[in-house]
Amino acid sequence: MTVKPIKKLVKYNKAETRTAWLCLLPSVIGLVCITYLPMIASFALSLFNWDGLGEMQYKGLHNYVKLFTSDTKFYSSLWVTLKYSFMSVTLSIVYSMMIALLLNRKIPARSFFRAIFYLPYVLPAMAVYLGWKWLYDFNHGFLNYIVRLLGFAPVKFLDSSTLVTPSLAFIAVWLSGNLIVIFLAGLQNVPRTYHEAAEIDGANAWQRFWKITIPCMTPIIFYNLLMSLVSNLQVITPALSLTKGGPGTGSYYMCFMLYQQAFKSHKYGYGSAVAVVLFILIAIFTAILFATSKGWIFYEGDDKE
Amino acid sequence: MKKLLALILFVVMLIPTMAIAEDDRIHITYSFWGNQTEAESVQVALDAFNAMQDRIFVEPMQIPNEEYTQTLVNYAIADQLPDCGMVNENAVLYFARNGVMADVSDMYAGEQLQPMDCITFKDDGTPVGYSSCNEILVLYYNKDMFDAAGEPYPSADEPYTWDEFVEVAKRLTIDVNGNHPGDDGFDANNIVQYGAFVNNWTWQMEVWALSNGGAWFTEDGKECVINTPEAIESIQKVADLALVEHVAPLNVIPEDNGVGIGIGSGTVAMTTDGTWRLGTDFPNLDINYGIAPLPVMEEKVTLCTSGLTGVFKGKNQEAAYEFVKWYTREESNWESLILTGIWLPKSEYYYTTEEGINAWLGNEKYPYNHDMETGKKVLVDYTMNNAKPACWYFTPNTQITTNEILFTALQSVWSGERTAEDVINEIYPELCEAIVVD
Repeated sequence: MTVKPIKKLVKYNKAETRTAWLCLLPSVIGLVCITYLPMIASFALSLFNWDGLGEMQYKGLHNYVKLFTSDTKFYSSLWVTLKYSFMSVTLSIVYSMMIALLLNRKIPARSFFRAIFYLPYVLPAMAVYLGWKWLYDFNHGFLNYIVRLLGFAPVKFLDSSTLVTPSLAFIAVWLSGNLIVIFLAGLQNVPRTYHEAAEIDGANAWQRFWKITIPCMTPIIFYNLLMSLVSNLQVITPALSLTKGGPGTGSYYMCFMLYQQAFKSHKYGYGSAVAVVLFILIAIFTAILFATSKGWIFYEGDDKE
Repeated sequence: MKKLLALILFVVMLIPTMAIAEDDRIHITYSFWGNQTEAESVQVALDAFNAMQDRIFVEPMQIPNEEYTQTLVNYAIADQLPDCGMVNENAVLYFARNGVMADVSDMYAGEQLQPMDCITFKDDGTPVGYSSCNEILVLYYNKDMFDAAGEPYPSADEPYTWDEFVEVAKRLTIDVNGNHPGDDGFDANNIVQYGAFVNNWTWQMEVWALSNGGAWFTEDGKECVINTPEAIESIQKVADLALVEHVAPLNVIPEDNGVGIGIGSGTVAMTTDGTWRLGTDFPNLDINYGIAPLPVMEEKVTLCTSGLTGVFKGKNQEAAYEFVKWYTREESNWESLILTGIWLPKSEYYYTTEEGINAWLGNEKYPYNHDMETGKKVLVDYTMNNAKPACWYFTPNTQITTNEILFTALQSVWSGERTAEDVINEIYPELCEAIVVD
């Protein structure tokens, strides 16, 4: 027992810490310069009126007051964003869980089907939306061609403010190949031994799914739910490429509103205010998700029941 | 070996610096949007200019159309604006008011070729820039579809009244059983050929307010009058073509491709759209088409408009001014833009003198030279006598009013979910607020 080894350890630790910091540096610089500083700038900008070229005018909370009191489009925007997120998150979680369960079974040509369901996710977004535009089109679209053949009146998939969000959420569900892959990975990690034990005890398939698969999958479900929620609240691509925010405010999602206000109307302050509200909204939902997670997530090796 | 390679690399790297060092001309940048074909025609013009210059050298800077104005604003904030470039119509007054653009009001002083007043941008009455060309809205029709229906072609002398337009469109609209709107058993859900499509791309809708005896904004650009009964009715009439009359395809979310949705789709007999389509679209469409003046609600009118080539303030302003003056002359773009039909000339000379008219309309390369008489009435006479400038020539902040507020709101009218009156009255205060300049 001497002091020497400890000293060595401290030295070693120091060197290691330095290396760690050096390795972290690029991403820290990136995060600070590309994420945190613009975030702070965007918040500061939301207190001004600025058209990009002229003088900046300090307006205090004016932009927020305007958003919440006199901008009717803002509430529509908030509503359609929540509607879209709710639909696409719940449906894509259920859909991808189902597909993952199917793909996890020993079915013929399993790899082929896995590729098929993952394919939409790797396609370029613009191409995907262009394809769906042709399917959904009112006058010449394929879906309405079928509807007409069956003798019904054509459906305004993208041309009615009530149907546009469900139609777009459906595309989001179709696109959720990444969730399927994560679910699949999770399913393969569910210990066989639990299933075997339950089988011996006489549990049927449904009981095993409900009592073993689902609890073991809760951390994965939580992760997918969180990621899917955050990305769907920030929806903009379908609005940009398919509907231009319409009809009316039918797909005037918050991200689209901020883009439109800041970069098309050159109202940078106002656009930033929308961005800040969206940020807070996402933060609230994430917090709710985390707060409730303790109650329903089961971690193996966790000491609670 | 390695040393030799390094030496070669070093020499190669030196070449461009030597080239720059040798060239003591003033290098200026010209920014533009457009597709590959347009980029090539721009390069042809720049090469011609550079070849005859020993003082100025122009380099092109291509920016995607969607992001064009935004990119220029970013450059302006960073103090990195190009020296000159195209400016979108709805951004001209925004740029001018913020002191980004150089004064070009004397560019054509004392010249024989004077740009028309109709395409002069005015900020509070003061000229701030001239469009690079002229474009007006016309009616395109498919001659074969008219022949098949036994319908006489639209007249160039006596344009359709709106009611006649709707009636003709009904006769040209056919459902899957061969019935027309109004016939017993007409099936509105299974229309195989539409009679008409009025381009409802937001800015083009202004022409119908003017045609109906109304307007969107007063001529001093200070007041919004889109809530008058005439203006509101004009919007509803266009929407009703699809919703009530069943003579037009539904187009709820407008895109800038009226011809593509209309006559170019092969299922529509008549379409209203801009004259640039003569050069950009029709040469690629296998359609036997004709042109006529727009239908008339109350007044014979068309809208004229076109983007501007601006000189931006900066140290190369004087060189950029010289280039722009050269570049925006008709002669500089004669083969590539005028004779292809993409641009109509911007100087009065080409509309008021026999010699001037013959130079382009009578040229065998011009897309509509086979029917010069019609071309003269529809393109020349209408420009001189019936064309009014689009609102962005005199109204501030159209990037907010037409681009954002009206574009979004009118979609509810196109879809039939709300009436024009309802929608316009709702957004009217917002429009009034948007055009106030502080």
